[in-house]
Amino acid sequence: MKKSKEKKNSIVRIFREGDTKTRLSCFIMGFSDMARGRFVKGLIYLLFEAAFIAFMVVKGGANLVNFVTLGTNQQGMVFNEETGIYDVSMGDNSMLMLLGGVVTLFVIAGFILIWISNLYSAFEVQRLKESGAMIPGFIWDIKSLFDSKIHKLLLALPLIGIVIFTVVPLAYMILMAFTNYDMEHQPPGNLFDWVGFGTFVKLFTSNNGMSYTFWHVLGWTLIWAVFSTFTCYFGGMILAIVINRKGIKGKAFFRTMFVITIAVPSFVTLMIVRVMLAKSGAINILLEDLGFITSPLPFLTEGTWAKITIIIVNMWIGIPVTMLITTGILTNIPPDLYESAAIDGANKLQAFVKITLPYMLFVTTPYLVTNFISNINNFNAIYLLNDGGPATLDYFKGAGKTDILVTWLYKLTMDSRDYCYASAIGIVIFIMSAVLSLIVYRNTGAYKNEEGFQ
Amino acid sequence: MMKRIMGLNEKALKRLPVINLLMMLILLFPFVDLPGTGKISGYRFLASMHRYWDHRLPVVIGAVYLALLITMAALAVLLWKLPSRAAVRVSLGVYLFHAIAATVILFTGKMVMDASSLAITGGFLVKYFGAAYWLYLILAFVGLAQSMRTMKIDTGYIVLVIMVVIWLFPIAWLIMISFREESGSYTAYFFPKTFTVKNYVKLITDTSRFQFMRWFMNTLLVAVCSCIISTFLVLSTSYTLSRIRFAARKPLMNVMLVLGMFPGFMSMIAVYYILKGMGLSQTLVALVMVYSASAGMGYYISKGFFDTIPRALDEAAIIDGATRFQIFTRITIPLSKPIIIYTVLMSFIGPWADFIYAKVILGDDVEHYTVAIGLYTMLSRENIETWYTRFAAGAVLVSIPICILFICLQKYYVEGLAGSVKG
Repeated sequence: MKKSKEKKNSIVRIFREGDTKTRLSCFIMGFSDMARGRFVKGLIYLLFEAAFIAFMVVKGGANLVNFVTLGTNQQGMVFNEETGIYDVSMGDNSMLMLLGGVVTLFVIAGFILIWISNLYSAFEVQRLKESGAMIPGFIWDIKSLFDSKIHKLLLALPLIGIVIFTVVPLAYMILMAFTNYDMEHQPPGNLFDWVGFGTFVKLFTSNNGMSYTFWHVLGWTLIWAVFSTFTCYFGGMILAIVINRKGIKGKAFFRTMFVITIAVPSFVTLMIVRVMLAKSGAINILLEDLGFITSPLPFLTEGTWAKITIIIVNMWIGIPVTMLITTGILTNIPPDLYESAAIDGANKLQAFVKITLPYMLFVTTPYLVTNFISNINNFNAIYLLNDGGPATLDYFKGAGKTDILVTWLYKLTMDSRDYCYASAIGIVIFIMSAVLSLIVYRNTGAYKNEEGFQ
Repeated sequence: MMKRIMGLNEKALKRLPVINLLMMLILLFPFVDLPGTGKISGYRFLASMHRYWDHRLPVVIGAVYLALLITMAALAVLLWKLPSRAAVRVSLGVYLFHAIAATVILFTGKMVMDASSLAITGGFLVKYFGAAYWLYLILAFVGLAQSMRTMKIDTGYIVLVIMVVIWLFPIAWLIMISFREESGSYTAYFFPKTFTVKNYVKLITDTSRFQFMRWFMNTLLVAVCSCIISTFLVLSTSYTLSRIRFAARKPLMNVMLVLGMFPGFMSMIAVYYILKGMGLSQTLVALVMVYSASAGMGYYISKGFFDTIPRALDEAAIIDGATRFQIFTRITIPLSKPIIIYTVLMSFIGPWADFIYAKVILGDDVEHYTVAIGLYTMLSRENIETWYTRFAAGAVLVSIPICILFICLQKYYVEGLAGSVKG
């Protein structure tokens, strides 16, 4: 908090203490640098400014206007009658307008950053001149990128990648949640408008089945996340304990057997299991042949059965992973704890409950949370196993009995193109994950004290 | 009093003869309890089992079985009167046989009953097994566990073996299907009638509809490119965040953490349009960019690793006049082999398994498909009947290299995962 205050002050300081050349840099970027001998650096700033102005004149300005018109058309019903004319004269679609607006906003944000850096540079060079020190040249600047300013060099590419492929798309999709870009408002045929929180209101409280579906899918998402996380966690831990017992020889062999199931790509195993569990699939055939059942079991075709099946199949996938993770941690538990427990007459179960479990829970809490969140987002297990099915008429917009929020989001985007609902659901998922991790990360030692290892 | 024998668990040893005798007795009681015909004792069932196996296998299992039962009686006496290591070892073998046999009977009971003259019409179900059978099943495993205890062998083996069988079952089935001659996804029987390698040959040579080899090469190319790029991005991000202290560091880390909490493919439509704007949609380059561009966000694990490399090394190097960049390339990178291998492994495997992004970006451009979407298309409704066994063959071919990689690099995978836990 304090730091950011100082920074603001220092921009104010630049205005207060900067001389004419420095102040002129506000309008002609790089002016102070160029005037004081840092010609190349100043020129680069100037080129950025020129490019930015050119962009704003040619495209950016229009983009922003489009972005705003989308914003001023909130009472869309009145406007709708003019839409035909409006549409043709613009010759554009709302979706691209929104995207263009977002991109332009990011370009502006980027430019502001460069502008601020230009001011700092201008002020820095002014003060160097005043104190009579040598002014480092362009070559020195480049060299410093490999040393004292290496973070700029190393982070440049990753950050550009993240901004283009994550931040911009996310901003775009988040904004979309505040429009009515659903099945009935598909550009280029139709325009869509800003509706504020309308989409969320519809999703949470409408009576047409949308909110019914949403709350039920949300409920199952939470049940699924809890069960899949904890079954795999305890299953994997028990498996690891068994493999790590002193008397077991061939630990590496057993571990490798389970690693094979991790190594086979999950889309392969899930699709295999899906075929196996079908009504006339291998499992039902086998069970019938062996005399266990007389008619096929509805593994994936009946709501409750499908839910249980998915949790069990997910155990098959998840237990080996947890086993590998916990193996390392288990060996870190001081053995004398168990020895003294044994001397005090504790049996194995008591030792597990009183020693192993608390230790494991303590160490693996962050893992449990990330795992819980990744299960909320576990697209593959649900979608590849059963497409979220069995389909049901109770639910709205293509959701099936085992759909979790993420798979429903996918269906809403890919099948019915209800982008605004999909985005709203994405935001709900985000809020759930964020709240959860915030609570836990804030309370773990690793976050508070990250220098602890060094 | 029993003689004390070194290295044997006496408590368990005392229980063994009791279990032996119990099992002998149990077999006299009704093994099968048919609703119409009545009860069939264990001995009669086992004898008829021999009749079933007789015309299938050269070894007369039933006879061997009865012989073993008789040895059990002798064994019980022996264990009671003259316990010795050898006797316990024999009993271990016997119980192992019983445990396997009881399990086999559970799964073949129907076939045995149907093949023998004992069966009634209408079919036999597992639920017709009488209490004696279930007791026999339990006792066989209890006996096995007790013999193992007596020998001081860990009983965890039983659990592990059962789990390994369950875990490998679908994979074994996949391999079996890939060699099945009969096409079609569903057959009315479990084991294929004939085996063949044609599925593999056809998958590779028959390019009229699907070009598996091409998909394979596509995926390999994408995987190699994206793993090089993302490893570079991850390492530079995590090194910087771990080692360099600069003003925006903490906010940057928090922002990336927050960004990571949005469901990944919420933004895929926007990504698609951005790539389209760049004129890259439906190309492999686009796929590489999607897989690797945001890799920096996965800095968390390798940052945790870099955090553990002592800072004193850096400081010493700085005193010697090294630049930060030199420290990164000459000191930190060589020390980070495990985490580099982990990062490479993870980003290499990604493209083989992902199919959401690949599908959105490649659409219907079958030529550029990766194996994941390619194989998925083989299972679509119109293809599944002809392509199912070839799908299995393809799945095996994809899994083999990844499996080998995984098994060889298991150590690093575990270290990387442990890093993720520690953080």
